[in-house]
Amino acid sequence: MHDAPIIMLGGFHLDLSAVMMLLVSMLIVFVICRLAVANLSVENPSKMQNFMEWVVEFVQGIVGSTMSLKKGRPFISLGLTLILFIFVSNLLGLPLGVITEAHKPEMVFGKVIEATATLKDGEHAHILWWKSPTADIAVTAGLALVVFILMNYLGIKNNRKHYFKHYLEPFPIFLPLNIIENVSKPIALAIRLFANIFAGEVLIAVIIKMGYLGIPFMGIWQGFSIFVGALQAYIFTILTMVYISQYAIHEEEH
Amino acid sequence: MQVLWENIVITMLAFGILYWLLNKFAFGKLFEVMEKRRELVLGQLEEAKQTREQANAYVEEQKEALSQARQEAYEIIEQSKQSSSKQARDLLEQAKQDATRLKNEAIRDIENERSKAVEALRGEIGTFSVNIASKLIEREVENNPEEQEKLVNQYLKEVGSKS
Repeated sequence: MHDAPIIMLGGFHLDLSAVMMLLVSMLIVFVICRLAVANLSVENPSKMQNFMEWVVEFVQGIVGSTMSLKKGRPFISLGLTLILFIFVSNLLGLPLGVITEAHKPEMVFGKVIEATATLKDGEHAHILWWKSPTADIAVTAGLALVVFILMNYLGIKNNRKHYFKHYLEPFPIFLPLNIIENVSKPIALAIRLFANIFAGEVLIAVIIKMGYLGIPFMGIWQGFSIFVGALQAYIFTILTMVYISQYAIHEEEH
Repeated sequence: MQVLWENIVITMLAFGILYWLLNKFAFGKLFEVMEKRRELVLGQLEEAKQTREQANAYVEEQKEALSQARQEAYEIIEQSKQSSSKQARDLLEQAKQDATRLKNEAIRDIENERSKAVEALRGEIGTFSVNIASKLIEREVENNPEEQEKLVNQYLKEVGSKS
């Protein structure tokens, strides 16, 4: 099992790998978006602009399929950020992983890495530096928590009456069940995303152990992982929109 | 595998920052331009529709004008055909009349000339015959006084009976 490069900083655990990978993901997403909007043109769009517009239209489709596009307009940028961030995060761990082997307590920024602090002679620890940030359950939980807070906040703010009423439906006795349903949503989101990506990376590690024999499997699995990464980003985004529309948007029909 | 609550918080912060950055520096402009592009496309579609309608109307107009022109041309040809045939007929008529008139005139002229010539000839013949006759009579009278006598008497008789 690989360990995370965690250092203690002012009483807090700081997962350097998670921080770095989050920063890398953010940077890639931000650079892509900036490149896409660098030469915006109304009449003669560049390829990047066309690509970005395709992504925006894709997200508009997702939002439009769960709620009316008029009410969903503010959530398009949220959906865009989610899908781009998760997709890029999912792919980051595919091409490479950076693992260091530590035989003695290693120091980073003047702090000792926790996993190596208690190493004795002959023992060693594998420190995983480069991975998909979404292969860490804490990261996916953070994303899911954002969705959880957002959907409940929007529900209470925009749709108070129906939001509270829905906890007592169809009968008041269902209240605990409804609360569990509410809480289970972010947990399901977090675990689904984490498990898919983490399993992908574990399998990549396993295939690497096969040596040269594993090269065709590696090709197949990398391709499939790209598909899984895109699919998970799509699922996360569409579920977010479904939840938000469930809680925050009260359609007149029902 | 440990779940660090710090990571959860860091992720939420990171996501919030990314959302804010993208919203501020990328999506606003992108949405604006997309909206403009949508309007542009709509406008162009509308324009194309109008242009097509205009073109249709124009083609219709042109067709009408063409058929009208064809009709006019047909009429003109028809008219000119009629007028030319009439003119030809007129010309022919005129020519015929002229010819007849000329012929008549010629005939009359010929007649005149002939009668004049005949008249002149007749006059001359009369003079000649009188001359010949007087010469013959002179010679007869000189040769034959009896005859002369007879002739004078006859003349006198004739003159007497006439007056």
